[in-house]
Amino acid sequence: MTEKSLSVRLKNFVLTMGTALAFVYLFLPFLTDSFGVLSRMSSYLDDNGIDPTRYYYTDVAQVKEGEDYLRFALEEK
Amino acid sequence: MSEESSSVVIDHGKSQWSDLWKKEDFLAIWLGFIIISVCVLAYTTFGPKAEFAEKIATANQIQEAELAKAPFKTIAWHNAQDAKKLKGSSSAFGKFASHWTKTPGSWKTNPMDSLIRSESQAQALNEKGMPKYEEAKGKLEVALAAAVAAEEAAAGASFQNQALNDEATAKISEWRDAQKAVGDAKKKVGNKPYNYIPTLIGLCIFIALIFGAGIAMMGKSAPAFLQGFVIVFLVAVLAYILGGQAISKQYGFGAEAWGVLLGMVIANTVGTPKWVLPACEVEFFIKTGLVLLGAEVLFNKIVAIGTPGIFVAWVVTPVVLVCTFIFGQKVLKMPSKTLNVVISADMSVCGTSAAIAAAAACRAKKEELTLSIGLSLVFTAIMMIAMPAFIKAVGIPEILGGAWMGGTIDSTGAVAAAGAFLGQKAMYVAATIKMIQNVMIGVTAFCIAVYWCTKVDCVAGKTVGAGEIWHRFPKFVLGFIAASIIFSILDQGMGKDLGGAVVDQGIVRGGTRLLRGWFFALSFAAIGLSTNFRELAKYFKGGKPLILYVCGQSLNLVLTLAMAYLMFYVVFPEITAKI
Repeated sequence: MTEKSLSVRLKNFVLTMGTALAFVYLFLPFLTDSFGVLSRMSSYLDDNGIDPTRYYYTDVAQVKEGEDYLRFALEEK
Repeated sequence: MSEESSSVVIDHGKSQWSDLWKKEDFLAIWLGFIIISVCVLAYTTFGPKAEFAEKIATANQIQEAELAKAPFKTIAWHNAQDAKKLKGSSSAFGKFASHWTKTPGSWKTNPMDSLIRSESQAQALNEKGMPKYEEAKGKLEVALAAAVAAEEAAAGASFQNQALNDEATAKISEWRDAQKAVGDAKKKVGNKPYNYIPTLIGLCIFIALIFGAGIAMMGKSAPAFLQGFVIVFLVAVLAYILGGQAISKQYGFGAEAWGVLLGMVIANTVGTPKWVLPACEVEFFIKTGLVLLGAEVLFNKIVAIGTPGIFVAWVVTPVVLVCTFIFGQKVLKMPSKTLNVVISADMSVCGTSAAIAAAAACRAKKEELTLSIGLSLVFTAIMMIAMPAFIKAVGIPEILGGAWMGGTIDSTGAVAAAGAFLGQKAMYVAATIKMIQNVMIGVTAFCIAVYWCTKVDCVAGKTVGAGEIWHRFPKFVLGFIAASIIFSILDQGMGKDLGGAVVDQGIVRGGTRLLRGWFFALSFAAIGLSTNFRELAKYFKGGKPLILYVCGQSLNLVLTLAMAYLMFYVVFPEITAKI
């Protein structure tokens, strides 16, 4: 890596980063717009404020909602 | 740092008393517990605990009186229930902590929206959401009037007329749905202007200082760390910005993935500057984050959906984990046991968080953690979209579908998304099953650490003494487990309502979680900045990790569906009926 000149390294950076950004910000939106199911899911997530990137239960507000709902539903009376 | 310790998620050495203030594991425990202690004091002794307890006691009295009066949950009962939904995070300390640990927000077309929102932008957003909010409020008024009338009619018959009681129950339920709709619509009109740049600068300084102190205690150069930390923090911030874009989020590509990717692109193209590398303290960030995560591992949560939930999440999961690990060793002959167990835990337990905990517990290499998380992200995105579509297509009932997705899709956010796409009840069941499974990471990390110390790191045929096991044991796991046990006891001791308000919605969501998220984001940025593409590619040779993941996940899908069906429809159908 250190053998390459700065211009080559910068070019590689721009190309690699550009590809990654194009995939996420051009291809994936295209994919979403092309399929009804993906488009509906996108709107649904946006409307309900669900963030699929959150990995632990304390990061996801819907878990608390679910917990409260089940507590209420499973309680007697 | 030796060659080994620079590439593994955890290091180890001979135990001495000075380890307590010199070794990374113990420093992670102390740092984690200092943060935890500050949060506990802020929300209990110096916080709203006493005030909350009083409000909850008053609400409980009202609820008891209402339950004695009517054979169903009345409007007053529900109002009292709402009065108990208190949040410690709304206290002064909660607001302060939340303000100074803000992550860049969401955006759609302009990345700057994640950092700065002007008054006019906030107003425009609020105006956009206002018609829906007004409409929801109108419906709520109508629903409330109908519920009051129905309850009065039932009360007029001294609650002896079953038809009137059922009518009142139905109308009250409709009113509650309308209330939820108002709550959801209200979120869209509560937008406020912000500028996160000063808070991010403040946070960078704070985190740099606390970790810098730890670095100095370890005998490393604190100035070198502080100098490079600015770049690691900047990469983490950029990762949050890139991961905050709506479509990126939709496919589960969040800050963690962007942190690794961005860091790796920098490291493998322009090259990570040498002066940044001393700040790539992956292990220190991860271990401290894990100690804080321990406060979120509350064992009382496992009973949230009764026995069926325990069977789906706590019986299937370890079976799948162990079977996948054995399959990887015996059939696939995976050369790296650590990679095998990290993928097995990641896939069977709960994705990223389990992968982090497992990797740290077994001293997996950074590349192995990256690979496991990468696999998990790809399959999570696919399953999040494919599973609800498949469940709808074949007509699997909502509860069963929810339980199935909750037990199999890796990340909790993706589970909620997939569940929501299937239906509200499916989302509730899926998210709750996932939460129960999340709690398993404490046990998983502990068991993996013990197994590695006693079995994997041994010379064949030789027994290992207790002293040697102690030397090898990743001590931070004890901090992680201790935090989990202390918080489980604290939460249980306070009771559901007060525990929820003070522990869950206060200490955790208004304190430890905020920094834990940042520590993990920093660790992913640091992993990326110090990872070589070629090293990473070596671990993927032959596609064995992919085969392992696919085979393990297939087993997971079959066993979870079978167990969920058995539990929710054969053994405990009465629970399913109540949901």
